[in-house]
Amino acid sequence: MRPILLQGHTRSLTQIKYNAEGDLLFSVSKDHVVNVWYSHNGERLGTYNGHVGAIWSVAVNSSSTLTLTGSADNAAKLWEVRTGKCLHTWEFKTAVKRVAFSEDDSMVLVVTEQRMGYPGSVVILSINQDINAIQSDEPITIIHPEGSKAMVADWGYLNNYIITGHENGTISQYDWKTGDLIKSIQPHTAELTDLQMSEDRTYFITSSKDKSAQIFESNTLSPLKKYVTDAPLNSAAITPVQEFVILGGGQDAMHVTTTGARQGKFECRFWHKILEEEVGRVKGHFGPINTISVHPSGESFSSGGEDGYVRVHHFDQDYFKFKYPDL
Amino acid sequence: MPVESTPQKHSWADEVGEEFDQLPSDNSIDETGIKTVIEYRTNDEGKKVKITRKIKKTLITTHVNKIVAERKKWEKFGEEKGKKDGPDLSTTSVSEQVFLKLSTTGKQTEVTEDIDSAKKKLLLGKKILCRICKGDHFTTKCPYKDTLQPLDELTIVLEEVKNPPNAETTPAETTTGPTKYVPPNARAGGKTASTDTYSKERRDDATIRVTNLSEDTTENDIHDLFRRFGSISRVYLARDRETNVCKGFAFVSFVLRDDAAKALQAINGYGYDNLILRVEWAK
Repeated sequence: MRPILLQGHTRSLTQIKYNAEGDLLFSVSKDHVVNVWYSHNGERLGTYNGHVGAIWSVAVNSSSTLTLTGSADNAAKLWEVRTGKCLHTWEFKTAVKRVAFSEDDSMVLVVTEQRMGYPGSVVILSINQDINAIQSDEPITIIHPEGSKAMVADWGYLNNYIITGHENGTISQYDWKTGDLIKSIQPHTAELTDLQMSEDRTYFITSSKDKSAQIFESNTLSPLKKYVTDAPLNSAAITPVQEFVILGGGQDAMHVTTTGARQGKFECRFWHKILEEEVGRVKGHFGPINTISVHPSGESFSSGGEDGYVRVHHFDQDYFKFKYPDL
Repeated sequence: MPVESTPQKHSWADEVGEEFDQLPSDNSIDETGIKTVIEYRTNDEGKKVKITRKIKKTLITTHVNKIVAERKKWEKFGEEKGKKDGPDLSTTSVSEQVFLKLSTTGKQTEVTEDIDSAKKKLLLGKKILCRICKGDHFTTKCPYKDTLQPLDELTIVLEEVKNPPNAETTPAETTTGPTKYVPPNARAGGKTASTDTYSKERRDDATIRVTNLSEDTTENDIHDLFRRFGSISRVYLARDRETNVCKGFAFVSFVLRDDAAKALQAINGYGYDNLILRVEWAK
């Protein structure tokens, strides 16, 4: 396959996200820029200008009318997707590390950093879908996770709870209405770098700096699968159609000096979701891969790297023909 | 992925802008829809050049969601405001082809493990001697690595021939895991930091200097002359900067020092192209 190279950022990518239909790809980076691209040919649709700090996260609602970005300038901004206009800004005490729309788009969760005496928190805000409406500044709930700060978070199905991943490797389930902790497990030994839900949000995949990625069931937080690699992982995604997961990360610190000379060495690793075996790799990035997102139809995927490039890959026919031989 | 193999709106004909020759330019459309455009030009050297371009236009129709189609018509905003339709070359480009080779492993790694274990068994017969303390372990694994100096220079030279095969297999073994996909650079015999700098240092020990070469000697001549003694890792022939003739000496680096020693013995005093060659160690 011939990946399309998107050069819209001058600094490393922090997150990329497809919209619900998959025709738009949002990319955010440390260079304060939010880009939106047409995913089928890589044509840039526009940029959202307004943030003055590194942007850590982006989320888009299911009708692709609103998008929310969280930045290190202590603000989360709501934008109208079509025009690029900033509809509302929420100010926080510390940097915003993660944003996510709920399944019905009525709410959004914002994970804020722990810094300078302010504890990390997860803030639940309500969103009005009408573009011209005034958004409420008052959060529905503020959750302060005890112990380790939250790094990543996402919603369960039907707004039942939120799942958070923490710096010490724990995963917790919170009731967003009350702010109570429902359940918590500690499957990882280092900080969680990414958390992505399956299509129906009944299970999710987490990636961690402890060089492993795991799949858990959302309701019970019971571990389902584990993928152990040799490099700290920055992102993990589940592919629809084919039973794969895509993992991306850095390189083991020891090997940087020996293999770093060859360009385009950093790889997205494809693992079989069920059989927990690596099945292939896609090279191309010039730096560690920071974020991976899969098209909702399973026909393509994109990766954003430390090198500032986004690579959009459309799978060949033999990707879909691949099957494990009968044992 | 739908890709149009057509030129964009501004055609090549506009770019040419030069006078056409007397010969007519031909436009014809084949049955298969391939349009052939023939053009005659005079190129920079004053020669007549016939340029044939075959263009095939394919219209690919994909069914998309109605909303998706509507979104495609949106006006560009932000940094893209006012820009024309289609991907902008400054932001979007097609990268070179990458191959996602999906494989069900298990079988591949078993084979490599067998080779490694076979090698290890072969070497178990030889005595492993540490250069520092003469113990029954590799020099790099010596507990006194940082304290004692190597005891004998000569024994280092001799054992270097024995040790490299050992050193190369051990890193290869540790990196292959059980039934896992092994990327090319981590497979057995792959390049690692230790072998890289190690081989460079070793090469200098297995390098000979051959002098009194005639002026028209080339690297190939040196290579042909010395390859019978063993595999050569590098040939450097000193050349005069301006005239590029041979300056009379060359350096030959062998993979194994033994081969270099053999070459030294044999070629020293050998007559080549009416001159008696002289061979010495490079160090």
